[in-house]
Amino acid sequence: MKINHKTVLILLCCLFSTMLFAADFPERSSTLVTDYTNTLDAGSLQTLEQQLVAFNDSTSTQIAIVIMASTGGYEIKDYAAQLGEKWGIGQKGKNNGVILLIAKDDHKMAIQVGYGLEPLLTDALSKRIIEQVLKPAFREDRYFEGLQSAAQVIMSVCAGEFTADQYIKKTREQKPKDASMLLLLLVFVIVFWVMKRKVSRYARGNNIPFWTALLLMNAASNRSRGSYSNFSSGSGGFDSGGSSFGGFGGGSFGGGGASGSW
Amino acid sequence: MNRILLIILGVVSAVLVVVLFIAYLLIMRPYNVMVEKDETVSSQWSFVESSYQRRADLIPNLVNTVKGYAEHEKSTLEEVVAARASATSVKIDAKNLTPEAIANFQKAQEGLSSSLSKLLVVVEKYPDLKANQNFLELQSQLEGTENRINTERNKFNVAVMDFNTYIRKFPNNVTAGMFGFSKRGYFEAAAGSEKAPEVKF
Repeated sequence: MKINHKTVLILLCCLFSTMLFAADFPERSSTLVTDYTNTLDAGSLQTLEQQLVAFNDSTSTQIAIVIMASTGGYEIKDYAAQLGEKWGIGQKGKNNGVILLIAKDDHKMAIQVGYGLEPLLTDALSKRIIEQVLKPAFREDRYFEGLQSAAQVIMSVCAGEFTADQYIKKTREQKPKDASMLLLLLVFVIVFWVMKRKVSRYARGNNIPFWTALLLMNAASNRSRGSYSNFSSGSGGFDSGGSSFGGFGGGSFGGGGASGSW
Repeated sequence: MNRILLIILGVVSAVLVVVLFIAYLLIMRPYNVMVEKDETVSSQWSFVESSYQRRADLIPNLVNTVKGYAEHEKSTLEEVVAARASATSVKIDAKNLTPEAIANFQKAQEGLSSSLSKLLVVVEKYPDLKANQNFLELQSQLEGTENRINTERNKFNVAVMDFNTYIRKFPNNVTAGMFGFSKRGYFEAAAGSEKAPEVKF
């Protein structure tokens, strides 16, 4: 009996996709710095991204910077916390993520801190970064300088708390969930019903027990089909010189942090 | 004769597999999932509780700081202290998160929220206080804590919705009745927050 890995995978994906939120959030970014408004030029974007990726590689702490036009009527700090949660900024279990969200048209910004970093990057400190670093720079349209110095402060505060070990043994091997067991059983039952008559005829004809016949027929069909099912799910994990971001780690946010406007 | 016995044995084991499968589908799996979801609700509740506790813990400090600058606002300050006392007196056991218990809890906390916001309005009259570093820190902590409350409440509601939806579906409702799982309470959204604002990326 064979189970097509692809089908199982697709079914699992369907199951998980229903768990996603339905609210207004951008797709999970593949970079730490995400600018939807083209405020930063390519060079600045690259510089910031590299600094944050390097920090992520050495400490596993993920600092994400997101610039968008407007959060509409949503409270920016609430929206930032939800976005951080949804993207999974920081590592699972350590919850060492920070999101710095800028709503450019609203002239508002928020720093939201994952649970694991709350003792270091406190609400008062976040507020101070907003008031003393971001606000003066943003008022003069110096977005890159403001963001870079804010990122520096956040990095110096968060350095040393977490190491990269968590990042390295990141969720490579994912355990098959309960659902796949169920599917296996289901497929087994269906195949069993379909083959029952054929197998029992075969068993009677050759005078061998039913289960033996079932196994024999399976073996035969396996051989004829060759190695088609040697399909491995490509996880897309690759290293390109250490300068690319490996993705968010599933960290969680509890609403700690601060917000402000300029 | 032997062959007939084998066929019977085969059919019996096939039936057994099907029966086990159905039992798994109808009882074992729903029960286990309910236990898991129930645990999520309970643990999320502890986050909600601790975020409210965090707010309550900030208040004595806040009241003392304000007192130094705004001696005239005694009644407002006393109101905050009283609201804090009544809010912290309402405790819910994580095993008993019924809709009524949640509504009670929410009502007690809302009393504190409204007297706190009254205090923050009053404070606007005192520029010296507003420039006080200690007060500014407290204010940012209070803001952060309100946001924590908000976030944890939302997460709690999501967990409750997940649980409630699950136990109401067929055949889970039968299993839920059998093992005594009942609906959990939600936090009601503040008035006017049900409209969906438009977000621009």
